[in-house]
Amino acid sequence: MASRYNPVDRVELIRQPIPNAAIARDVRGDGDGAVATFDGCVRNHSHGRATRFLEYEAYDEMALAKMRDIAAELHGRFAIDRIAMVHRLGRLEIGETSVFIAVSAAHRDAAFDACRYAIDTLKKTVPIWKKEHFADGAVWADGEMPPVPKSTASEESGAETPAAKPASN
Amino acid sequence: MLVKVLYFGKLKELSGSAEESVELRDGARIEDLFAVCAEARPEMREFRRSLVAARNREFAAWDTALQAGDEIGFLPPVSGG
Repeated sequence: MASRYNPVDRVELIRQPIPNAAIARDVRGDGDGAVATFDGCVRNHSHGRATRFLEYEAYDEMALAKMRDIAAELHGRFAIDRIAMVHRLGRLEIGETSVFIAVSAAHRDAAFDACRYAIDTLKKTVPIWKKEHFADGAVWADGEMPPVPKSTASEESGAETPAAKPASN
Repeated sequence: MLVKVLYFGKLKELSGSAEESVELRDGARIEDLFAVCAEARPEMREFRRSLVAARNREFAAWDTALQAGDEIGFLPPVSGG
């Protein structure tokens, strides 16, 4: 897909703690009246088991491309100013931020809606994987199947990112 | 023709490698590539229905024809966020 990624947006994969406050501050411009943020953080339990820590890995180049696609799509769908979308990789402890999204807009509705759409779409389409470590072992988290063309015959008919569904956590 | 294959997440553990180069006949499709890769790895074959494929960093159908130098990723369900 030809990306309309806007260079004022910030899309990153990082292996250190995410600077949430700085990201939220930097996404604001003087024409904005709202900044909506989503802080996805590591919780201490999963499916009734106590989580010790998480490990994230990505198909880096493709993940960044998909995140830029989401940013480009947000500009087309919502009356927003800028987007920051940063995902952390590697080992994360309980309470740490795994993904941080900030969206600025002149008015709050667009900022809220775009932020929600961004995290829902990221969870469905961006190639990142999470391994949950428990006291008695580790498992790869149940994930979502990204929308993929069923066959090359249907590829031209525009099988593209479908409407996002609510996040599962 | 030679293509590059990448494995991720659980599939990387099942396949025992993160990356390999595979020689294929001309005209081969992604599904043919997977069959070659999974030939000696039955646990990978069983995982097939839970995978999606990407060709040169775009999601691609299993019947997509390959070209020399393609980068093919086999991806388990994604769980970022």
